[in-house]
Amino acid sequence: MKRNSPPAFACWLLESVIPVPYREAMLGDLIEEYTLRAESASPFTASRWFWSQAWRSVPSMMWSWLRRDWLISVSIAIGVYIVMGTLKLAADLAISKFVAPRPMTEVVLAPVVFLATTSISGCMAARIRPGATIFLALMAMITVAVSIVLKVCTIPVPWWYQFGFLTLGPLSVLLTPAVFRNEQTRVLTDRQP
Amino acid sequence: MKRGELLGSLEHIVLLALARLDGSAHGMIVRREIEDRTGRNISIGAVYATLERLEAKGYVSSFTGEPTPERGGRAKRLFRVEAAGKRALQVSEETIRSMSAGLKSRWEGI
Repeated sequence: MKRNSPPAFACWLLESVIPVPYREAMLGDLIEEYTLRAESASPFTASRWFWSQAWRSVPSMMWSWLRRDWLISVSIAIGVYIVMGTLKLAADLAISKFVAPRPMTEVVLAPVVFLATTSISGCMAARIRPGATIFLALMAMITVAVSIVLKVCTIPVPWWYQFGFLTLGPLSVLLTPAVFRNEQTRVLTDRQP
Repeated sequence: MKRGELLGSLEHIVLLALARLDGSAHGMIVRREIEDRTGRNISIGAVYATLERLEAKGYVSSFTGEPTPERGGRAKRLFRVEAAGKRALQVSEETIRSMSAGLKSRWEGI
């Protein structure tokens, strides 16, 4: 972190959740205030303030995404969810056909396949409509929760294994699009009136 | 403002802050004004989400300012209260005044 520059991860987090029309303005406001605070107090105090603003702003911003034409976002999320299910099913079938169906292989490959499909689906949803990723993440979380309750997995696995599916799946839906977002496209979109 | 449609509490506060800041102001100034006057430490995200709602309702309008180096080369978005916003504030104030009329004497003993 450069002197008098806000925490990079907090900036990235905010860039991922702030709706496009206000992204540049809101981040600019935070950076300006951070600089003033870093000069008047200390960079540590300013960073702490920046982080608190970032964390507390995320729910408001996500709620803002959800409210914006939520019916369209839900429809897109359902469509992508069907694609995600089909992809997962195809991958599971391929594994059972080409890889020996041993319990250990299944335990190792299941999270890889799951995270790959959730990441791809997250990118797809974000490309169509960023707000749809939140609904898709919720759907993924509900699906995993239902699978755990109904004991779909017959192989005995530790709790943290199931907890990993429950948390990392939705997170990969939300965060992968931000990681792979095309910087140039984002800047161009930001500059639209 | 539609009949019966009242401003939410944060919408009311943000709109009042914007009205106090003559002309136009950006999100962080609005946040600071609210913090200075009410002591509420609200997040900048909540301010922008409220401003977005108010803009969608036609109570405020926004325009983009010039990018500056101290903002990391990012432009400001300045907001100003529109006539519909001023009317909404008046209606809200009148509603609160008429609903709270006569209550002051009852609260004095509390």
